[in-house]
Amino acid sequence: MQTLQDMILRLSAFWAAEGCVLQQPLDLEVGAGTMHPDTFLRVLGPEPWRVAYVQPSRRPADGRYGDNPFRLGKHLQFQVVLKPSPHDVQQLYVQSLAAIGLHLADHDLRFEEDNWEAPTLGAWGVGWQVMLDGMEITQFTYFQQAGGLELKPISAEITYGLERLTMFLAQSRSLYDIEWVEGVKYGQVRKQEEYELSRYYFEVADVPFLQQQLDGMEREAGRCLAAGLVLPAYECALKCSHLFNVLDARGAVSVTERVGLMKRVRDLAVACARAYVESRERLGFPLLGAGAVAGVSGAAEEVPGHAR
Amino acid sequence: MPGEYLLEVRSEEIPARMLEPGMRELATRLFEELMARGMAPREVATGFTPRRLTLVLSGLPEREPDREEQVMGPPVRAAYAADGAPTPALTGFAKRCGVAPEALRRVATDKGEYLAAVRKTAGRPAGEVLAELVPRALAGISWAKTMRWGSGDGPWVRPVHGLVSLLDGAVVPFSLFGVAAGDTTAGHPILSPAPFAVADAAGYRRELGSRDIEVRPGERRRLLAETMRQRAAALGGRLVDDPPLLDKLAAICEIPGVLEGRFDDAFLELPAEVLSTSLRDHQSALTVEDPAGARLLPYFLTVMDRPDDPQGRARSGNEWVVAARLADARFFYGEDRKAGLARRVEQLERLAFHERLGSYAEKSARLAALAGAICDALGWAAERGDAVAAARLLKVDLATEMVKEFTSLQGVMGGIYAREEGQPEAVWQAVYDQYLPASTEDRIPRGRVGRVAGLADRLDTLAGIFGLGLTPTGSKDPFGLRRAAQGAVRIALEGELALDLEAMAKVAATLYGDRLTRGVAQILDDLRPFLHDRLRYLLGLAGYAYDEIEAALAVGVRDLPDLKARVDALHRMREAPGFLTVVLAAKRIANIVKDAAEQPLDPALLAEPAEKDLYTAFAGLRHEVEEAAATADYGRCLRRIADLAPVLDRFFVEVLVMAEDPAVRQNRLALLQAIGRTVSRTARLTEMVVDKAEARAKSGG
Repeated sequence: MQTLQDMILRLSAFWAAEGCVLQQPLDLEVGAGTMHPDTFLRVLGPEPWRVAYVQPSRRPADGRYGDNPFRLGKHLQFQVVLKPSPHDVQQLYVQSLAAIGLHLADHDLRFEEDNWEAPTLGAWGVGWQVMLDGMEITQFTYFQQAGGLELKPISAEITYGLERLTMFLAQSRSLYDIEWVEGVKYGQVRKQEEYELSRYYFEVADVPFLQQQLDGMEREAGRCLAAGLVLPAYECALKCSHLFNVLDARGAVSVTERVGLMKRVRDLAVACARAYVESRERLGFPLLGAGAVAGVSGAAEEVPGHAR
Repeated sequence: MPGEYLLEVRSEEIPARMLEPGMRELATRLFEELMARGMAPREVATGFTPRRLTLVLSGLPEREPDREEQVMGPPVRAAYAADGAPTPALTGFAKRCGVAPEALRRVATDKGEYLAAVRKTAGRPAGEVLAELVPRALAGISWAKTMRWGSGDGPWVRPVHGLVSLLDGAVVPFSLFGVAAGDTTAGHPILSPAPFAVADAAGYRRELGSRDIEVRPGERRRLLAETMRQRAAALGGRLVDDPPLLDKLAAICEIPGVLEGRFDDAFLELPAEVLSTSLRDHQSALTVEDPAGARLLPYFLTVMDRPDDPQGRARSGNEWVVAARLADARFFYGEDRKAGLARRVEQLERLAFHERLGSYAEKSARLAALAGAICDALGWAAERGDAVAAARLLKVDLATEMVKEFTSLQGVMGGIYAREEGQPEAVWQAVYDQYLPASTEDRIPRGRVGRVAGLADRLDTLAGIFGLGLTPTGSKDPFGLRRAAQGAVRIALEGELALDLEAMAKVAATLYGDRLTRGVAQILDDLRPFLHDRLRYLLGLAGYAYDEIEAALAVGVRDLPDLKARVDALHRMREAPGFLTVVLAAKRIANIVKDAAEQPLDPALLAEPAEKDLYTAFAGLRHEVEEAAATADYGRCLRRIADLAPVLDRFFVEVLVMAEDPAVRQNRLALLQAIGRTVSRTARLTEMVVDKAEARAKSGG
C-alpha cells in the first residue's frame, strides 16, 4: 500500500535526479504552490530554473470541518517547475508516475485541455488536467504570462494533488483514511486542524481586524517596494491574498468589493513581478551562467529514447 | 500510385475542440495554395487524433506547369531613336529581362503601343513546392488558443514532436519549430512508443492499425458508438444517445476503446437528469436506459485510450470516481430537498443578476409582474395564476447546491424540485423548460405557461442590459443577448403568441424603475432592429425569401404570428398570375405619388373609361381586401389585389396621370394613393424584388 509519505519521497527523489532544487514549502499561507516565490517569481526573466517542493495550500472556502471525505481546506501540492520547459517534459512526467509505482501499461492516461488562469497574479498558462483512469491527478501547465509579463523562456509547471493521488491509488473511500505513513492515517494527523481551521475561517475570524490587516499589508508592500525590497514586498502581497480568501470564506466580501479587492492584490503582484525582473537584471541574472542550477544547461534538447 | 503526399504532425495533446477546425483549415489552405499553382491534387484525405494531424494528398501532378509571363517594357515611341536604333530604354529593359532585344514583342494598349518581354519560368517539382507550402500552412493555422514553449518556440497549439513528410516514398524536407521532417513516426506514447519508419499512406495506416490506432475521427466515432450500443444491449438496455459527447470522445483518443462501468443501484434514486449530467460533465460518460426508455440502468460507458482493460484498472478507477461524484450529487440532492424551494427564495437576494441590475430576488419580482402583463395582453386569464407562480419560482434553483455544482442543470433542477414539491404540472414544466430553446435544434417550452415564463425571462434580460446601453457589438455578446432575443422570437412565433413584443419590452423596461441608465424610448429604438434581425434570420431559415420578409416587416409588426402569416401569403402568391403586374404597379404608383401630398378623391371627376374602370374595380374589392386583412386572411387579400392586374395595366397604358388640368391630375393621384394604401395592407409590395427580364417582358407585352 502506497503511503502519502512514500509519494513525497519518491517524487522528491525523481525530480531531484532531474536536477531540481529540492525547495521547502513557503512558510506563509498560500492558495497554491504556484504562489511560492520559487515558482511565481522564478518563472520571470531569462534565468533557467528547476525546482520541486511540497506546498501546503490553503483554500479557506473549501474547508468542510473535516466532514467531507473529498474536500479539504488545506491540502498538499507537490510542485515542479522546469524552466525552460524541456522538449521531453511530458515524457519526464510520465516517468515520474512510474516512479511512484504506477504500471502505466495497465492504466488509461489522458491529457485533457485545461488552461490555467490566476487573475490575482496576472498570470495564465496553457495545458491539461491529466486524467488517470478518469481521475484528475495532475495539473500540467506551460506558463505564458505572470505578473502581467510575457514569459521567455517558458516554464512547465507540474502540480500533483498529493492526497487525491494517494487516495486514488489506494482506492480509499475517504481522504482521511489514507496512510500518511504505515500505521498513521491522514485523518489522525490533520482532521483536528481541518475542523478548527474551518471553524476559524467560517465562524470566528474577526472581519474588521482582517480588513485592517489587509489594508496594512497592502501599505507595507508599497513601502517595501519603495525601499527596493522585492521579496518582502511579495510576501506582503501573498498575505493580502490569503486575507482576501479568509474574508471571502467568512462571507465578508460582496460582489462589488470582490472586483476591487482582486484588483488591489493583482496590482501588487504585478508591481512585485516587474520589480523582481529589474532586481535580477541589476544582479546580472546570476543563474544565467551554465551549471548554476544542477542539471540545467539552458538548452531544451530532446533526450533520445528517454521515456521509451 | 504516384503523386501521393503523406503528412503527419505529431504533437502533445491538442484540445478536442480545436482538432477538427485546425485540420480543416490546414487541408483547405494547402489545397487552395496548390490549386493556385495549378497543382490541385485529385483527392485530399485527413485524419487526426489528439496527438497527430494526418493529411494525404493523392493524384498530385509531378510538377508545377511552366509559366509564361508578359513583362511590360517601355512605350515603342521611347524605344527607338529617330534613326530607328534601339534606345537605352529598350536595351536596358531587354537586359533586365534576360532576353535579346529582337525577342521583344509589340503590344497594343489603350495608352499606345508598348514593348513587352515574355519571361518563361519552368515549373518546380512537386516536392519543392510542398517543402515551401507545407511548413507555412502548418504554422499559419489559426488555432483558437496558441502557446509558446521551451526557449520561446511557437506560437502553435501545442509543442511539436515529429513530422512525417513523404512524397511517393521520398522525404520532402522542411522543419517546424526545430523539428525536422522525415519518415519516422511513433505509436501510442505508453502502449507502443517505439519509433518506426513508414513509406506511404497505406503503410502508415497499416502500421498504426497494428497498434490499434485509428486516425480517422469519423471511424473512431462510428466504432465507439457501435461498441457502446452492443455493450448497452448486452447489459439489457440501450444507449442514451448523446451526439456531441460522442464527437468529444472520438476526439480525445487515438485508440477507440470503450470503457464500461457500473455504479451502485442506490444512486438510481437520483433523478435521471442529475445522473446523466454528473456522468456527462464529470466523467464524459454516456448512460444506459431500459429498453422502454423509462429509467436508467446503473451503468455508464465512456472512452479509454486503449483497446482493452485486462487488469480492470481503468474500469475500477472510473467506477471509484463516479461513485465519489454521485455521492456528492446525492448529498446536494438531499440538502436541497431539506430546505425546499420556497425557503430558498430569500437567498436570491444575495445572488446578483447583474451588478447594476440588482439581485435575482428583484428579477423574480419583475418576472412575476411581466408574466401577468403578458397573460393580460394575450387574454389568457386561465393561465395567469400559474404563469405568475412559475415566474416567481423560475430562478430559485440558482440558490440550490445542485445547480451551483452543475450549472447546466439550471431550470431542469428547479423543475424537478417543483414537481417533487407538488407544484401544478404547468408550473413545474415552465420552470423545467425555461431555458428552451437554447439552440436552433431545441424545441420551445411545452404549454402556454412555460412560453409566457420563458418569454418574460428573456424580455427582462434584454430590456435590462439594453437599458444599461450594453448592446452587443460584433462577436462580443457576453450576456447572450442574441440567443435571448432569438429565443423570445421563436417562442412568440412558434408558440403563436399574438402579442405586441415591443409593448411587452416596454413593460419590462418600466419594471426596472430607476435602475436603467437609458430612457424607455431609446431602449426600444435599439431593441427593435435587434429583434427584427433575429426575426429575419429565423424566417429566412424557414425558407422565406429576403424580400418577402422585408415587404411584410415594412408595414409594421403587430405580432409575430401575424407577421409570419403575411410573409407566408406573399411567398405563396408571388408565382400567381397577375401578382407581378400588381407589384410593378405598386412600384410605379409609389414613384408617381412619391412627392405628392395626400389628395381627396372625387369619383365624379373621373372621366376616361380606363380610370373609371379602375375605380369601379377597386371600389368593388376594397371592402373585401379590408375585411380579409382584418381577419388576417392575407392570402385572400393578395389574391383580390391581384385581380386588379388587368385594369391597372390598362390604366397605365391609356391614362396620363400628370394631366394638364390640376384638378384632374390631383384626382388621379388621389385614386393611385388610395390603391397604393390598399395593395400595401398585407405588405409593402414595393419591397419585392422583381426579376428584371421578367419585368421587361411584362411591360413590353
